[in-house]
Amino acid sequence: MQRKTLTRCVLLIALGAIGLFAGAAPVRALSADEAISGLTAPNTQEITDKGDPGAEKYGSANDVTMTDAKKGITLGDLANQAGQNKVAINFVWTLIAGFLVMFMQAGFALVETGLIRAKNANHTMMMNFMVYGLGLFAYWVCGFAIQMGGSAPIANLGGAYPLNHEFAVNLFGKPWGLFGTKGFFLSGATYDVAVMVLFLFQMVFMDTATTIVTGANAERWKYSAFAVSTIFLGALTYPLFGNWAWGGGWLSQLGANFGLGHGYCDFAGSGVVHAVGGLTALAVAMQLGPRIGKYNRNGSPNAIPGHDLVFVLTGCFILAFGWFGFNPGSTLGASGNGCLRIGSIAVNTMLAGCTGSFSALLYMWIRYGKPDASMAGNGLLAGLVAITAPSGFVNTLAACIIGWVAGILVCLSVEFFDRVAKVDDPVGAISVHGTNGLWGVLSVGLFADGRSNYGGSWNGVPGSVTGLFYGDAGQLVAQLIGIATLVGIIFTLSFLFNWIVDVVVGQRVGAKAELAGLDIPEMGALCYPDFQLKASDYNVGANISAPAIAKH
Amino acid sequence: MRPIGVLCLVAGWAVAVGGLFLTSATTGRTLIACLGIGISLFGSLGILNGYYLERAIWKK
Repeated sequence: MQRKTLTRCVLLIALGAIGLFAGAAPVRALSADEAISGLTAPNTQEITDKGDPGAEKYGSANDVTMTDAKKGITLGDLANQAGQNKVAINFVWTLIAGFLVMFMQAGFALVETGLIRAKNANHTMMMNFMVYGLGLFAYWVCGFAIQMGGSAPIANLGGAYPLNHEFAVNLFGKPWGLFGTKGFFLSGATYDVAVMVLFLFQMVFMDTATTIVTGANAERWKYSAFAVSTIFLGALTYPLFGNWAWGGGWLSQLGANFGLGHGYCDFAGSGVVHAVGGLTALAVAMQLGPRIGKYNRNGSPNAIPGHDLVFVLTGCFILAFGWFGFNPGSTLGASGNGCLRIGSIAVNTMLAGCTGSFSALLYMWIRYGKPDASMAGNGLLAGLVAITAPSGFVNTLAACIIGWVAGILVCLSVEFFDRVAKVDDPVGAISVHGTNGLWGVLSVGLFADGRSNYGGSWNGVPGSVTGLFYGDAGQLVAQLIGIATLVGIIFTLSFLFNWIVDVVVGQRVGAKAELAGLDIPEMGALCYPDFQLKASDYNVGANISAPAIAKH
Repeated sequence: MRPIGVLCLVAGWAVAVGGLFLTSATTGRTLIACLGIGISLFGSLGILNGYYLERAIWKK
């Protein structure tokens, strides 16, 4: 039986070979500058006369750029056009994603303003409005250079080659990249189209981190102190960690230097953006102290409700929409190097946000008897924050779990900071972004499934990012080192700088201004001049002594 | 207290990173990194926050 089958196979192969030799035309390789014969293109006169309503004629050989029109289209022309198209797709994708992330500023502004009292609405909106300008300026001057000045080559953007110098020190025989040195003021060789695309995308990320701080410190932060603090965050603290994680710095090289998986992996910034913002918010909030009326003399907290839940939930929707730029956009492209995974990243983003809001809602319903609207919103944001780092490395089941845990975690964290640590955070920013940013970083080390393949390597280590549950415990260690750096170095930097601001400028407004609301004392105009605003009536007289208010 | 808190924060990071040189075992590195994070968290939420809580406006 076996011999019969073998004989049939040999006969089939022989027949096939004869057929090939009989029918095949001779093939000759073209050189790059040789014109390709037989290319036909639609008659442009026909399009001129009749138009192209069926979209059948545009996008043809006519549209391929030729280096020599007399010679015709060459193989080199085709290759260049293909490369140009790939980079163009990636530029457009990254820019549009950046525009979406920029719009998240509006979401943050609405969420934060909705969660504070009406008497501080102008002040809070103006903090959110100006983080854009202040942060952008600081980032253009030096932040971008420090973060990305040594990040080249970035293949999806055509290389971004001018960003080619990273300052590193050698310790114990290993290079430790500390900061980039190219791109200050986007001048010199960094006046480059790929660098501009990267700048825009990275700038809006930085702006997201700065706007987190304003929420946690709303209703008592002096506007001048806020301005100085924001500039510092955009110019130094954020870019430093951004460099270590994304700019080729030492955290990203933990895999290459110490064999820890693929080094610190943070796909879209749970650590770089959200934990940096959340921990800075914590450092400032600790120094500012709680709002007057937040705690009674025995230390028990009072709830201080915000003034507009419609703002809050609309802002959450805007943020969820913008997150589709945040996470899928972090591929920095849609073409080549595994970038088609953007579909998976977008779905992971949706799922984690949904499960986060669902679990937070359930937690509050079970614990307090009502489905709390603001915590459902915070649950959505917590899920989105947590999936930001792992979105490019995990499957949908892991995304659901990560989001679900984040929703519970944000509730527990808000309760911890409110009741145990007694750090007053009017909007829950420390819990949403700080706590869940760290959870997101950790979750990469647990859930990365080893199926993503962005050009065959990540952070210079061949293969796919794989977490503990899929067999690589080293990746978890790299993520833990990242968390230690966020808490031990980034928090400390933020704390020290804001302490200097406190000494020089003073971080907190006076008690009288705080009680009156910051709109008039700090900004000179009420947000709602036609409304009857209540004076602060949250047990203020009962829990703070008059001398303390006078002295404050 | 504030300088002690800041020292604790940085010491926690140094412990976590130092673990990479102390041992090549993944379990050992994991435990040391967790210890480092714990030290840093104690520095921030324990010492620094404790310092500010003692001076909180609602206690005056």
